Amino acid sequence: MISDYFSNAKKKSPLAPKPVEQMPHTLAGLSFKEWRDSRKKNHKMRNIRWAVLLFMNLLFVFSFWLDLAILEGSLSGSRLIGFYLMDPYNSLQLLAISSTTGYLAMLTMNFWIGLFTILIFWLIFGGRSYCSWMCPYHFLAEWAEKLHNYLVKKKKIKERSYHIGLRFVFLVGFLLLALLTKNLVFENLNVVGIISKAMIYGPSLLLLWVLAIILFEVFVSRRFWCRYVCPIGATWSLVGKASPLAIKFEHDKCGYCIECQKVCLVPHELWFVKRGAATQDVHYVGSDCTRCGLCVDVCPGNALTYSVRGASSLL
Amino acid sequence: MDNEKKNLNRREFFKGGIAAAGTLAVVGTATFILDKSAAKSMPREDFLRPPGAISEEDFLYGCIKCGLCVQICPVHAIELAGAGEGLGFGTPYIAPRIQACDFSCDALQCVETCPTAVLDFRPFKEEGVRAVEKAAAEPGADLSTVNPFEVQKVAMKEAVRMGKAHVNRNTCLAHKGEGFKGNPRGADFKGVHRSPGKNEVSASPLKDRVFNREVCDLCITECPIGEKAIIQRRSRSGRKLIPHVLDGCTGCGVCQMVCPTAEPSIVVEPF
Repeated sequence: MISDYFSNAKKKSPLAPKPVEQMPHTLAGLSFKEWRDSRKKNHKMRNIRWAVLLFMNLLFVFSFWLDLAILEGSLSGSRLIGFYLMDPYNSLQLLAISSTTGYLAMLTMNFWIGLFTILIFWLIFGGRSYCSWMCPYHFLAEWAEKLHNYLVKKKKIKERSYHIGLRFVFLVGFLLLALLTKNLVFENLNVVGIISKAMIYGPSLLLLWVLAIILFEVFVSRRFWCRYVCPIGATWSLVGKASPLAIKFEHDKCGYCIECQKVCLVPHELWFVKRGAATQDVHYVGSDCTRCGLCVDVCPGNALTYSVRGASSLL
Repeated sequence: MDNEKKNLNRREFFKGGIAAAGTLAVVGTATFILDKSAAKSMPREDFLRPPGAISEEDFLYGCIKCGLCVQICPVHAIELAGAGEGLGFGTPYIAPRIQACDFSCDALQCVETCPTAVLDFRPFKEEGVRAVEKAAAEPGADLSTVNPFEVQKVAMKEAVRMGKAHVNRNTCLAHKGEGFKGNPRGADFKGVHRSPGKNEVSASPLKDRVFNREVCDLCITECPIGEKAIIQRRSRSGRKLIPHVLDGCTGCGVCQMVCPTAEPSIVVEPF
């Protein structure tokens, strides 16, 4: 429903937690532990997602190498069978600078078509879905995350977390920096662009920067870049605020095991899965969600599913 | 309790925010300075911006480094700068000695494909339209005898100004009165080019071509623009035939690529 987009579910008073007779593990006739671990080995959505991510990135590579001309360019800007697509944060910086220099009028119709096409596409498919379904850095970071979690589990390192709103400090900050220096400063530090271009046009020295970020994520803070820094992700999260495609949470199927929060890149968006936290029978995961499906895979009660918001009321 | 949590949360945000802003200022400025100083310290003469490039100042922010121009170039003349070239990381350039722009795409496709118009197609388009109108207006000509595509493509390539070629008199074979026999760049040279004399559809490897000239004139015969850009003329003493670059030179760099001397004796200087 449209009203779902605007009501603040967090402020409502929470529902009463389910009694043990109504818990899904009791209904399934299992012990809580057996039930909780029942889908730990399920990686269906993750495998589909990795396949899509690798396919799209390799399509970029082979479009150039083999002259296929299907998906030309890189993640900064590309042409899909001749149809332009532009990265919105890159475009935003460019627009900010060019609004002061008068260069704005030079931008081609292809630029505007590319920008609006991609905004509409990811508006429908969920903003930050870009992160987990397209971004090559996300793929690397998932492996780094596994290593990091292993080290934390073995008590070799301490987990460090920061405020999730810092991304917006970086979003505004890099925009200001672009304005002040008249240079796309972020593009030189953009791990997404660096990897995308390294794959397509060959490696550059800037890959050392990517390595540094990955090492930081392994040894210091879990998913540091994606969670707290990346302004591209932050832009997508703004775009995704109104996305119809979202992960749906059903309270009656939830067993309060919080396995989903443990695997999630943005656990704050799953605030309602704790015992006594949900305020509605149905919640939709917020706009920071990358729709990666790790929670869908791991949820023993199938309480989390992909869904289209408002579809049931339309049908 | 709730309020306390909120305050703690806010404090955490400000603490992180200040750290973030600090890092941003340091890292951002450092990157910017590195990028700029690299641009100054590196010699620019070997690198050209692709055709239609706007002023360097606007180019540096207008170019989103997508590489579409790189991908569309049929002779792969355009490369993206690494950290070493000092051109602004990831921006496109042409190193004409390695592979010059020989206009074998026929329609300045790198310019046309650029989404942010740092390679600005509009002047070329206007130039092309003007040339077609002019050709059609000539006495005895009408659109049935004039091939607008041919006229347009010639006018567009002639409007390119990447730089201008300069001849080094000390090393140029023609200035020494010498001829040239054989292959100008050796059997391992990877560059390709479409020779204007041979009416080819696409470019062919330069290593497959053999020349035999009494007086070396490769830069003149291989120039894709022709007599508007470079001509052979007699030296003042009247004893030698030497290349002479005219204002019609587009700076494409084909002469620089085909020049047979070890160090090119004709070099394009970017504008």
